[in-house]
Amino acid sequence: MSTQITLGIAQIDARLGDLAANLERHLGWIERARESGVDLLVFPELSLTGYRLLHLTGKVAERPDDSEIVSRLLAAAGKMSVVVGLVEEDRKGVLYNTALLLRAGKIAHTHRKLYLPTYGIFQEGRFFGPGNHLAPAADGLGILICEDLWHPHLARGLALAGAKIVVVISASPGHLGPGETPESQDSWEALTRSTALVNTCWVVYCNRVGWEEGSFYTGGSHVVRPGGEIVERAPFLDETLLIAEIDVREVDRLRWRLPLVHATRSDIEGVQ
Amino acid sequence: MIRKEDVRDRLRLNAELAERVLSSFIKDAVQTTGTEGVVVGLSGGVDSALATALAARALGPDRVLALLLPYRTSAAESTEDGREVAAQLAVETRTIDISPMIDAYFDENETDAEQLRRGNKMARERMGILFDQAKKRRALVLGTSNKTEILLGYSTIFGDNASSINPLGDLYKQQVWQLAEHLSLPKQVVEKKPSADLWPGQTDEGELGFAYRTADEVLYLMFDRGLSAGEVVERGYDTDVVTRIEQLERNNRFKRRLMLIARLSGSAINLDREIPRD
Repeated sequence: MSTQITLGIAQIDARLGDLAANLERHLGWIERARESGVDLLVFPELSLTGYRLLHLTGKVAERPDDSEIVSRLLAAAGKMSVVVGLVEEDRKGVLYNTALLLRAGKIAHTHRKLYLPTYGIFQEGRFFGPGNHLAPAADGLGILICEDLWHPHLARGLALAGAKIVVVISASPGHLGPGETPESQDSWEALTRSTALVNTCWVVYCNRVGWEEGSFYTGGSHVVRPGGEIVERAPFLDETLLIAEIDVREVDRLRWRLPLVHATRSDIEGVQ
Repeated sequence: MIRKEDVRDRLRLNAELAERVLSSFIKDAVQTTGTEGVVVGLSGGVDSALATALAARALGPDRVLALLLPYRTSAAESTEDGREVAAQLAVETRTIDISPMIDAYFDENETDAEQLRRGNKMARERMGILFDQAKKRRALVLGTSNKTEILLGYSTIFGDNASSINPLGDLYKQQVWQLAEHLSLPKQVVEKKPSADLWPGQTDEGELGFAYRTADEVLYLMFDRGLSAGEVVERGYDTDVVTRIEQLERNNRFKRRLMLIARLSGSAINLDREIPRD
């Protein structure tokens, strides 16, 4: 991975359960990103299928190694690195909420969502199996999916394993209160900023927009630099391509002064 | 701990953001379904005025049809206020008098029906007309029930609670008032005493026996925040009112879960096969 990356966040809507329509949309945004010189393009959680699938989950599942849709995305991506979300089916017929990193004509990395929210309006545990493996991609890009970020040891684990950019893809529904921003956004920014602060890494948060069954997704995607400052933020509710320049060496320069990740100890007894 | 004096503040909304979100809801629903717009029954009250205003903002006024559907005993000011709202929003109106349909049924078949049954029939007649007009125009029926009346069951099942999409169903009554003010709807519409206008002199609060603002607060504490009735009373609300609200909420749950299907197959609609709509 080069140390200077032009990042693109495709903050898009999805058609629920319609792979073909969503593929066409992805191809369009990939083209737009290419025109903007994007090196790494990030789509939201379950970007190819929509989020609230319930009993449609199995009907839109793909086996990525043998998927016409993935092949077309690989061809369209070319030299660009692209993160997409989809329903993955393994050989045993287990379904996963998965992110794929597509690069240079190959699936460079697969992340299966580790924490499946099954409370409130979320029902993922009924339809998906949980992933059980976490590692950064070969070039040090870490990927988490939505709820994964609420379990901070995962981001720390990625940082310890060499990740300097943590990409979080999300389909986070919004809710409002009296404040200037959706209340859900306040929680997310607290989380992404603290992740970038304590792990001294870049955090890229890509959330979708649009409506599914009466619930809206907030958007508000953003990029946080190592140390916790938000450098770019997409609008709420609207589809957009957010562009940000990422200097990966900023992570190293901060870590020279603030060796939090390297100071992590695993030899402390007592609570696990 | 949430105190009584904090509750009203918690119910305040960022009106600008709420307007944006709810407009986008209507726009998305019309786009996703491939329909031409919405039809809405404009009663002269604040709920339907707000729903109409949101639709006009979302779609442009020319894709909204407001239907005024008075019965012969409906207050004249209801129709006048409805017209004023539509004029302010530049929305087309059409008036259809439902008296002949209602009277034909009761005069010929059910002469001793009480007011409540007549009121329910009127609500369902209006619903029937709205869905017919929607079919004619390839439009959606815009619902106008708010969260307070849905939770209290203060509605006619398959009548005013029926719609294709409802932008107001997660707004308590005082949030409806707040947004209506924010959108500069006519003062007399925002400030008038809420009424189903099913018979002369009827008011919601008179019939329910408590004020909407109180109902909003009690429902917020119980439904949104999960407090027990006892914990609500501890915060200074009247015991009888809290008990009554709790009973109404419990007894009217059936109105919020439509299509109760007897499961036989193990692949029953909605229970075993939850197929979402976009």
